[in-house]
Amino acid sequence: MRGPGRILTGRDHAVNTTLHCDVAVVGSGAGGSVLAERLTARGLEVVLLEEGGHWTKRSFDGREDHSYPRLYQEMGNRATDDQSVLILQGRSVGGGTTVNWCTSFRTPRDVLERWRDQHGVKGLTEEALVPHWEAIEKRLHIAEWPLERMNDNNRVLWDGCGKLGYARGLVRRNVNNCANLGYCGLGCPLDAKMSMLVTLIPDAVEKGLTVQANASVRRLLVGNRRVGGVEAQLLDPESDKPTGVTLTVMAKTVAVCGGAINSPALLLRSGLDGNGNVGRRFFLHPVVIMSALMPDPVVPWTGAPQAAYSRHFIERGPGKVGFLLEVPPIMPLIAATVFPGIGEQHQALMEQLPYIQSTIAICHDGLLPDDVGGTVKLRDPAERRVSIDYPLRPFHFEAFRAACKEMARIQFAAGAREVRSLHSQPVRIRKAADIEAALDAAPWEAGRVRVATAHQMGGCAMGGDPRTSVVDSTLRYHGMDNLFVVDGSVFPTSLGVNPQETIFGVARWASQFVAAATA
Amino acid sequence: MDVPHPEPAPVSLSRRSLIKRGLVGGALLAAGGAGFLALRGGLPVTLPPDGLLVFSPAQFAVLDAVARRMVRPRPGWPTVDEVGVARAADRIAARVEPSAQKELKQLLGLFENGLAGFLFGGRTRPFTRLEGAEQDAVLAEWRDSRLAVRRTGHAALRTLVLAGYYQTPSIWPAVGYSGPPGIFQDGPSQPQWRGGDQPRPDDNGVWHGEPLP
Repeated sequence: MRGPGRILTGRDHAVNTTLHCDVAVVGSGAGGSVLAERLTARGLEVVLLEEGGHWTKRSFDGREDHSYPRLYQEMGNRATDDQSVLILQGRSVGGGTTVNWCTSFRTPRDVLERWRDQHGVKGLTEEALVPHWEAIEKRLHIAEWPLERMNDNNRVLWDGCGKLGYARGLVRRNVNNCANLGYCGLGCPLDAKMSMLVTLIPDAVEKGLTVQANASVRRLLVGNRRVGGVEAQLLDPESDKPTGVTLTVMAKTVAVCGGAINSPALLLRSGLDGNGNVGRRFFLHPVVIMSALMPDPVVPWTGAPQAAYSRHFIERGPGKVGFLLEVPPIMPLIAATVFPGIGEQHQALMEQLPYIQSTIAICHDGLLPDDVGGTVKLRDPAERRVSIDYPLRPFHFEAFRAACKEMARIQFAAGAREVRSLHSQPVRIRKAADIEAALDAAPWEAGRVRVATAHQMGGCAMGGDPRTSVVDSTLRYHGMDNLFVVDGSVFPTSLGVNPQETIFGVARWASQFVAAATA
Repeated sequence: MDVPHPEPAPVSLSRRSLIKRGLVGGALLAAGGAGFLALRGGLPVTLPPDGLLVFSPAQFAVLDAVARRMVRPRPGWPTVDEVGVARAADRIAARVEPSAQKELKQLLGLFENGLAGFLFGGRTRPFTRLEGAEQDAVLAEWRDSRLAVRRTGHAALRTLVLAGYYQTPSIWPAVGYSGPPGIFQDGPSQPQWRGGDQPRPDDNGVWHGEPLP
């Protein structure tokens, strides 16, 4: 067995450097970390490249102004080109798992069956995934968060659903000795969150994995049916600007694990467009939000961020988009930009922050026959910023309106004094009887109502047919022998549940194919 | 104050072509840098003593004027001057990529610009020379415009300015925020485990169970 590996940053190379290894894994989130750990455990020499920095609990001070620039794509300001959808996406060692809200769902069976029946995916069954989920759940301490530890913010959704007779559930979370602080989204200061940063990445480093942080992979070294490695620009850990040093990693196999935006972008920059499929079928779980003024403080920044959920509306019948209901934590900086309005109206709302409960509806996109999702395209190839388009269409707005009505009903059932939509001119509703009329009269149009996403999927869809998909059912890029994509970008549709555990499971399952291609 | 006129439908500025071009489209932006009305002077402002990293003094003045409408004086709240909102916005913009910086600069030029103001709302004075209520009306015009590209511009400007204000801990008391919990037991001076010959500290997520299949 080889000796322990190292976690390197952009400062560890002063001159252009070339490394040689068995597998180069690009991206250290839920997909790349699981894959890198499995391959290292098999005795392969792996280099895991991450564009973001190596930030640990010693830096996780709970300050929004420090955390968004360090830990999120585009400092937390990533958005579609028209700014209509705010995109929250992680960017540091551990990727999204360093900053997500710990919600862990296995993939719904009907989603896997749809992928098999409608997208030609072979072998990715619930039975195939169960042993991988069991191993991951054990290692990450994934367990239901007890009702008695649920914060007041989640209690509104829980109680409201209970009063209305809506199906509800307790969230399973990947935490160990969690102190219920509520700061998961800014990096766990206690290492209680069992993110990749403190589990599989260090486990693999102990077994020989090399992690290279601050490495922005600019292109794959593409040859005839094979990829020879990757070329990365190193970034300064503090300024995040290029240091001028190029790191080349030559590898027998390359796995792209940058997520649903950065993976398609890397393939496109490398001249691989998958017959025009790369960057298409891009899904976002678009989210709409309702904010309620509660009679007592809910202090929405404290306590496990997500503890209750409802999938009561996940199936809404033919032609309609279903939605999952959950609760977000709210802190001042994100609240100020996400809540609508300016001036006195905005400040009066912000003053009530401890009393404001928000509920989110996560729309299950990509299921309707005419829902082809959005697209990821390149801008200037020299830049990291890409072009993201997600057209909001009538079926989205039908779901948004229905979801906002249901969320308002739940919030009133739980005792809300007033409920507001996040339209650019908020709809203020003071009693449940007014919900229908008030929200029917609101403008349902892009840029007039706040839409956000924390779940990015698709863009490198897996499938049986190279004419309609990017990777095959072993996650190998069609037409290349040693190039894989292993992350949420391979999902042919969205999931209808928070994606991290699906990505863990799929990556662990797919590690066998990557290993076989490397032999 | 002037009542905003209904927007004319500019023949040469078709909606699709504007939207396709990203944050703010090219044809519209051209109005931000040319023409007689564009050259009418804006209101001079005091620049930050440590200088500007991204924006010009004129662009800084627009940010400053917008900040004063987006955050009003309010008891218990730090002022726009105390926070230095436009300076903070300049520092935020310094960390985004060049193409995004360029778009933000163009947006500020367009917002200030007399010609664009005339085309959209019949006003010829620069934004920074308008009275407060007139400035509010211009902001509302952008927010509610039927041109998606203007709503996009409003959203970008609003996010930049509000982020510039709300990034500071000095606003926490005003919004009833208690701040991060004070139980961070590991100071930044503690060593960070990076593998190699150093043994992994036990609190770094070490697994004590059996090896997993």
